[in-house]
Amino acid sequence: MTGLAVRRTLQALVVLVGVSIATFALVHLVPGDPVRLALGTRFDQGTYDALRARAGLDQPLVAQYFSWFGHALTGDLGVSFRSGDPVTLLILERLPATASLAGASILVALLIAVPLGTASALRPRSVLDGAGTVLSQIGISVPEFWMGIMLILVFAGTLGWFPAGGYVPLSEDPVGWVRSLVLPAVTTGLVSGSVLTRFTRSSVLEALSAEHVRTARAKGLGARAVLNWHVLRNALLPLVTVTGVQLAYLLSGVVVVEIVFAWPGLGQLALQSVQARDYPVLQGAVLLFALVFLVLNLVVDLLYSALDPRISA
Amino acid sequence: MRRRALLAALTASPLVAASAGCSVGESVDTGNGNAAGPAGGGAFVAAISAQPDQLDPHKTTAYASFQVLENVYDTLVVPNGKTLEMEPSLATQWDTSPDGLTWTFRLVEGVTFHDGTPFTAADVVFSYRRIIDQELANSARFATVADVTAPDDRTVVITLKRPTPNLLSRIGAFKGMAILSKDVDESTLATKANGTGPFALQGSSASEISLERFDDYWSRAPKLGGVTFQFLPEPAAALTALTTDQVQWTDNVPPQRVASFEDDESVDLGRVASVDYWYLAMNCAKAPFDRVEVRRAVAFAVDRDALTEAAKFGTARPNQTAIPQGSEWYYDYAPFRTDLDEAKRLLQQAGVSTPLTMGVMVTSDYPETVTAAQVLASQLEPLGITVKIETEDFATWLDRQGRGDFDAFMLGWLGNVDPADFYEEQHRTGGANNYQKYSNPTTDDLLDRAAVEPDKTARKTLYEQAAQQIVDDVSYLFLYNPDAVQVWKKGITGYEVRVDKAVDFDTLALPTRGDS
Repeated sequence: MTGLAVRRTLQALVVLVGVSIATFALVHLVPGDPVRLALGTRFDQGTYDALRARAGLDQPLVAQYFSWFGHALTGDLGVSFRSGDPVTLLILERLPATASLAGASILVALLIAVPLGTASALRPRSVLDGAGTVLSQIGISVPEFWMGIMLILVFAGTLGWFPAGGYVPLSEDPVGWVRSLVLPAVTTGLVSGSVLTRFTRSSVLEALSAEHVRTARAKGLGARAVLNWHVLRNALLPLVTVTGVQLAYLLSGVVVVEIVFAWPGLGQLALQSVQARDYPVLQGAVLLFALVFLVLNLVVDLLYSALDPRISA
Repeated sequence: MRRRALLAALTASPLVAASAGCSVGESVDTGNGNAAGPAGGGAFVAAISAQPDQLDPHKTTAYASFQVLENVYDTLVVPNGKTLEMEPSLATQWDTSPDGLTWTFRLVEGVTFHDGTPFTAADVVFSYRRIIDQELANSARFATVADVTAPDDRTVVITLKRPTPNLLSRIGAFKGMAILSKDVDESTLATKANGTGPFALQGSSASEISLERFDDYWSRAPKLGGVTFQFLPEPAAALTALTTDQVQWTDNVPPQRVASFEDDESVDLGRVASVDYWYLAMNCAKAPFDRVEVRRAVAFAVDRDALTEAAKFGTARPNQTAIPQGSEWYYDYAPFRTDLDEAKRLLQQAGVSTPLTMGVMVTSDYPETVTAAQVLASQLEPLGITVKIETEDFATWLDRQGRGDFDAFMLGWLGNVDPADFYEEQHRTGGANNYQKYSNPTTDDLLDRAAVEPDKTARKTLYEQAAQQIVDDVSYLFLYNPDAVQVWKKGITGYEVRVDKAVDFDTLALPTRGDS
């Protein structure tokens, strides 16, 4: 168990360094120049050179990378080209919004997926199963921005139940926080939920056909007992993995939904940084996303080996 | 309905973090009986389309930033919202020496910054020197300035290398020339603000920025207790927020939605012809577009009215020059009509064989360029020109523009005031923004003479001659001037859309309770 954790942590560190190099190379390879952008259409060569030198962009790339990496090791991710704020602060500032949305979306997704997926699996090819399949197909295919706009028009516009966009921090106003969270969380939750529904259905089906379940049934155990004890426990194992991956994806920000709902999360920050070629913020954000993925993967793996005795550490 | 709206206002109105001793309920009631919002004296929320990149007025180039800063900082002079004539602000009067090289400004008395320090001439010198010495975004505006001095607390003297008749618009056109306090800690300017304007910065987050009324404002006290700018990039969200009273003002109105608001009883729609202009520029340094006949052929093939209608749904006015009708500098010159035969004749004359491919570089950051290019493609097809639309994100677009890597591109110029802003940097040989590499000695000579001509009438004539040359040579193929469009809740008074799209909320008043 500890051996696994240590091995995986070391692997994660190697991956992080790799990701940092790849990110650095990519953002600098993409055409477009943050200084040129900052000047807008009113361009002046002298101003341009001065700004480039000040941002250290006139240094060779390798030197820039090592300087950045060295600072990153001490927890200093540099400052934003756009606002001059420390990158760490910009990321931390947006974590609450992202965490709220990711958590609420997973909750919505699971509330849809577990009951619907299980019910579909228990009665395959029934009307309910068919309806579930169609619904999750729709959920997977409908673009999030369209779904978001529809929800805004109906629930914010016509009914006036929720705000049309914006974010209210939990610390300021818990009720406002919930109200601002509902529509974006439902939008992302429907999409994630559709994916998880299909997944739940197939893993419950698989668990139902497993040998020990047939044995349990043959022993004359009641259907409900079989379902609760033997099936769900096994079926939920893979679901933990997929939910972990979904959560990691949500934690790195859901760009489209964040734009539609003016949600100040990490996805929006990443997009703004790409548009502005704000290298320090972009590098910091990507590093964080990689870290989130690695940590959640590690947690999922450890959970797995804890839940499933067949996996030996 | 009213009850729900009020509830929405109470629950959705952001209570900004209690930074800097938030003065809830302490501000003076102006007696207009508004429901007390976070800052007292009426909560007013404006939905803007983007988050300001930073709040340093001397460094930012983003429109979103200036929407906020407009209400926080002052300049020595300000443009009139309709005519753009320069009017007194922090400077009450000014005079120019007979040789046009020395300008003396007298400053207003009794002005204080938001932090309570008194405003003096030294602050003006500091602010201008900062822009010049650090070569900040707007340093080109001081290109002709030799020195800025303060003989006493109430006087600023600007000495020039050569006469600069448009000095007032250079120092007052927008808040990029704001006056900061000389004691400011410059490292905080990106996120903090200390101006002399009607509102003081109260707090900011990734989703909104809030301002509170500055009770010691030197001019008329604002009627609002405060202003909150909410960033709502999605038009559907912004407009829904307006109809449900979550916000009271927005400029995030897509052109195709304008008509639906014109007969909407619950909102007022403001529309004026703005000083922005949009254009197509062909690369004068690249064959075959280096031939003036080829560029003129394109100009004769374009149907401006159809293109403007398709791109802007009737919310823009076609124009063959840059300066919009209504400006005192407007010049009625329209030599081109849609004439395919003439276009073909010109191509033949240039010895260019068709089919000919022309790449048109547009940017998804300004979607109207994409739409306009699609229309242009269909209009140039009968001429035998195949338009290849190259859609780039703005960073890549600027990169390619800077390297001259294009056949043609489309974009707009925003917030111009003086004719020099419209023509000089873009069309003078070697001009900082002459990316299309247009060069004509006649144009250069006219622009140079216009730049130093003190007599307004003579100056206008020179710019007209320059504009005529620029249009005839198709340095830019001018297309249209878009309208500035904003909508706000019915009952709001004291607010008008300005032609330069600066948003001034210092005279805006919310409806008193009972008439909404």
